[in-house]
Amino acid sequence: MTQLIANPVFSIALTVACYALALRLHHRWRWIPPVVVACIPIVAFLLLTHQPYAAYNRGGNLLTWCLGPATVALAVPMYRNGLALRSSLPRLALIVFIGSLVGMVTAGGTAWLLGAPLPVVMSTVPKSVTTPIAIEVCRQLHGIPQITIAMVILAGVLGASFGPFLLGLFGVWENRAVGAAIGASSHGIGTASLVRHSEMQATVSSWAMAAAGVFTSILGATFSIFLH
Amino acid sequence: MFDFIRGLAIIVAIFLIGGWLHTLGVPIPGGVLGLLLFYGALLTGALKLRWVDRAAGLFLRHMVLLFVPLTVGLMDLGPILSRQAVAILASLVVSFLAVLLTTGLLARWLLHPAAAETPEAGQ
Repeated sequence: MTQLIANPVFSIALTVACYALALRLHHRWRWIPPVVVACIPIVAFLLLTHQPYAAYNRGGNLLTWCLGPATVALAVPMYRNGLALRSSLPRLALIVFIGSLVGMVTAGGTAWLLGAPLPVVMSTVPKSVTTPIAIEVCRQLHGIPQITIAMVILAGVLGASFGPFLLGLFGVWENRAVGAAIGASSHGIGTASLVRHSEMQATVSSWAMAAAGVFTSILGATFSIFLH
Repeated sequence: MFDFIRGLAIIVAIFLIGGWLHTLGVPIPGGVLGLLLFYGALLTGALKLRWVDRAAGLFLRHMVLLFVPLTVGLMDLGPILSRQAVAILASLVVSFLAVLLTTGLLARWLLHPAAAETPEAGQ
């Protein structure tokens, strides 16, 4: 069994199979995040067979590596949606930049005030942006990527479930404003939830999500230089 | 199929260039540098959208698959997560509300409806 799980082909096949299952369940019950469902059988399998995470991750690492090219691919929706927003882009970029900065400071600040140790504080900082970028920023700040991932997913689910409602309470209804706020706070999960409401909201959200990722990594890199 | 492989090769090549620039000392992560290079190449027309559309779509549609292995790693973090749960959840909610409302209210103030454009424009 140890040899089997340590074979990268096996752990990749296991992950793809669990992901395919999770997609089917997500198709049926939209509120179930696929990443959670995909992980449960894998964790159960590792616990039942007494295999360490490190053995599984020899194959898992290859999938994690692909997050890099996936980040690069974000340029495609950014370009396509940017074309539709031409004249608003400079202002939209400024708005998303300020939103990203506020998000990083409030996330790290809250965890720090509540007495969390430094690696946990750093893990909270990039929690508003899309997973592949958040992981990179977390690593640069010496945080714990798993904590960041959990927070990124929860931020996405919060935005998709309550974002437009909360914005409405503060009088924010206009399509582009809703799109910018959801994209900056809830990345891909929030953006996907807007597609059903309004094409304009989803377009702005998609651009804002990529821009928030870029700004957060620039701010994170700047901060990490000061840190050392 | 050729379109797809060409797109895949372009995206991976840009990622490797981004990673290389990062090792040369640019502090931004290689993936994000690649994103910026790619965005620039699309804006200037050096790369055509139709060359990369399908390969990029595959990465974006199935991005969740790619972060399953890291998420499985949460299994080793049970103790730290339960000790820090309050700080982590409070940070999540406070920061989520701060980003959502700052961005939404700023956008309401700065993006005037008069300048509204249609999402189809330019496509």
